[in-house]
Amino acid sequence: MDGKTQCYINGIGIIAPQKTFENDQFLTEISTFNQNVLTCITPDFKAYINPVQLRRLGRMLRIGMTAATICLRDAKVQVPDGIITATGYGFLEETEKFLTELLERQETQLTPTYFMQSTYNALAGLVALSIKCTGYNNTYVSKGFAFENALQDAMMQLAEKNSSNLLVGAYDEAANVQYAINMREHHYKSDHIKNSSLFESKTGGTIQGEGSAFFNVSGISSDSTWCVLKDLQLVYTPETEDELSSALTSFLNTNAISVDEIDVWINGASGDVKNDRLLTSLENSIFKKTPQVRFKHLCGEFCTAISFGVWLGASILKKQFIPEIVKFSSMKSSGKLDIIFIVNQYLDRNYSFLVLKKL
Amino acid sequence: MQQTIEEITKELRQELIKQLNLEDILPESFDENTPLFGEGLGLDSIDSLELVVLLDRNYGIKLKDPKEGRHIFYSIRTMAEYIHNNRPKA
Amino acid sequence: MSQRVFITGFGIITSIGKNAEENFQSLVHRRCGFGELNILHTIHQKTLLCCEIKLHDQQLRDATGIKAGKGFTRTALLGLIALQEAIYSAGLSRSEIHDSGLLSATTTGGIREFEKFFYRLLDLQQQGDFVQFADTANPGEHCERMADHVGIKKYIATLSTACSSSANAIMQGAQLIKNKKLDRVICGGTEALSKFTVNGFNSLMIIDPEHCRPFDSSRKGLNLGEGAAYLVLESEAVVNQKGKKPIAELKGYGNANDAFHQTASSPEGIGAFNAMKLALSRAEISPTAVDYINAHGTATENNDLSEGIGIQKLFDENVPYFSSTKPFTGHTLAAAGSIEAVYCLMALQHQVIWPNLNFANQMSELSISPVTALKHVALKNVLSNSFGFGGNTSSLLMGSV
Repeated sequence: MDGKTQCYINGIGIIAPQKTFENDQFLTEISTFNQNVLTCITPDFKAYINPVQLRRLGRMLRIGMTAATICLRDAKVQVPDGIITATGYGFLEETEKFLTELLERQETQLTPTYFMQSTYNALAGLVALSIKCTGYNNTYVSKGFAFENALQDAMMQLAEKNSSNLLVGAYDEAANVQYAINMREHHYKSDHIKNSSLFESKTGGTIQGEGSAFFNVSGISSDSTWCVLKDLQLVYTPETEDELSSALTSFLNTNAISVDEIDVWINGASGDVKNDRLLTSLENSIFKKTPQVRFKHLCGEFCTAISFGVWLGASILKKQFIPEIVKFSSMKSSGKLDIIFIVNQYLDRNYSFLVLKKL
Repeated sequence: MQQTIEEITKELRQELIKQLNLEDILPESFDENTPLFGEGLGLDSIDSLELVVLLDRNYGIKLKDPKEGRHIFYSIRTMAEYIHNNRPKA
Repeated sequence: MSQRVFITGFGIITSIGKNAEENFQSLVHRRCGFGELNILHTIHQKTLLCCEIKLHDQQLRDATGIKAGKGFTRTALLGLIALQEAIYSAGLSRSEIHDSGLLSATTTGGIREFEKFFYRLLDLQQQGDFVQFADTANPGEHCERMADHVGIKKYIATLSTACSSSANAIMQGAQLIKNKKLDRVICGGTEALSKFTVNGFNSLMIIDPEHCRPFDSSRKGLNLGEGAAYLVLESEAVVNQKGKKPIAELKGYGNANDAFHQTASSPEGIGAFNAMKLALSRAEISPTAVDYINAHGTATENNDLSEGIGIQKLFDENVPYFSSTKPFTGHTLAAAGSIEAVYCLMALQHQVIWPNLNFANQMSELSISPVTALKHVALKNVLSNSFGFGGNTSSLLMGSV
């Protein structure tokens, strides 16, 4: 293995606070939220999950299973060779239910379902079970790096065996428990704002979001493939602007991409003025002249929100169209959209660079 | 006065639908003789554990070995009969 | 041609020892950690016996140099103790540590502290010392705290695949080295006991109130345990450059999914078979070259049957010596993979096979029995199995150098 890892994207399934399924529209109907909590728009789950399985599943498991099912249908794949999932906080609703019963019943007469459903790999296990996928199976729970770790894992698998086909997905829920905890930590805004005004608010804190996105990836392209995730890099707790921008410059050089070649950069700013500081400095330096889009006003902030950003980038490349609602600067006047660069941050600790290229 | 088997059966229909989240079944149409596991309703080993807890919480019957459930939980009828015959006297 | 991956250090803490030497002595002298719970407060203290580490959190803080009030959960503290020993044993410099990756696994994260302060944390009016644990429940938190404390920056990941978690962390570490993303990765897992897990497993009715009996025909279930262990993996290039003598080589690994049931393994041992087979084929060795299997062997009716059948199918007439060390340490959930990997490394270092305690009668479904006494045997290749909920099955193949 020579260190070159990448993955072709063949299909995506995503359930988010915007309507992202069963439509050909691309962020034209926008949902607005006023209470700093963005929750998913969901389909009729019966169309995606068999009833015998469905009855036992909590809300987030239903959302995750549905996103995985839509993805496989989109990629026209029945059974991939492996499944990798990622989450920051896991199934909080089930964790809270089991814990509450435990405390209220003082550890007696407890039922197992909530306990089982609260395990972080429950979704990866469930998807494998429902499609009888006996291949590689893994789950990452590394806060703001979880989805990137999952992608890195997938890319290395594909470098080893490029005929493989993998399902990589993320999920996180806007649970009450997590909202309370994040309010304690001053991660969310204290005043209620409309999500579309997220970046006008110059205060600290962001807004809570949720969602699940699954990607079908492979080592060689197929009829379904339209773009490739060429490379990614994680940068942990950069202390200065210099540290982040040198890492970025080095990443661009390794991939032989100049800033001018980037058609759109996706800025994973969260609306928290403090945590967005380094991204703001990139915006004013390296990316000064690069067309910019943002996405966290549409999906909210959560550990794996980057998966919404990757969906956005891949969709822009597929449709060769940039929705108005994500534009944060002027765009290139014409020409093919070829290279998309994503920079994300979570709590000013987990930074990542991803580059998508159209085939 | 102790509940009759029929009364327990009626109660169990509601309880099972609620506890096992059997969303599409109405209590009136929940046949007391339909096998709960395998071919009938398709419940599995986790549901079996849920029923062990239901027996304890609602009727004060403690099963030590989950394997005992195999016969007790065959159908709502067999469950009701077992509860009627084994619940602690008030 | 991908480069080889070597193990150059390890650290461990379990109910049978605070460090590697203590664990080794306990294994040799058949000292187990099984008993009543004294540190964790639960109504099951005297009835659901576990393998608890008899150290209060303050003692764990003292051992690591962490001051109180810094939001280090028990899971993070146990992890840090093992991580510090691993770093020391591999003789890593500050800059080497900085440029390492840290892959840590857990299933509980900080749930033990979360359950203790649950109502107070959710009531935003309430303040107090407990606030240090506001956001430590999530599993990734322990890894970041550990990385920050020792100075690891290059690559961080937390994994959670139930009982196969730390085995998967070790595998992923090897992948990062083989793909030249990193020269060095420290991999493993950590798990503290909590009311959440004790009651969770109890609700599944798979805990044996007595000392567990892996592979025995009368086995009744598992005993829970707590602990942590980390391995230092380094690339062939670095080992050669520094002239290091590695402890062993991570020659192979395999990850498969049983896809049978959410919490049970297939009676045919499909996942177990596939994971072991993948590990051997990556190592390019045949089943006859395996000298010892450290089995997952939780002593649940289901696991031991599934694993036993899987072993028989793969090794056929040539089933190697095998044993489960879970009667010593209990089932340490996410940490089991790395703890047992350390026991395999010790086995290779001392050319010894650990006994499977509490075994009396062979299972009727199997034609094989585990080793029941300490055995001195020439060992070259050792396989370690870890299987978990969600159908996750993983195997590691380590060989002497």
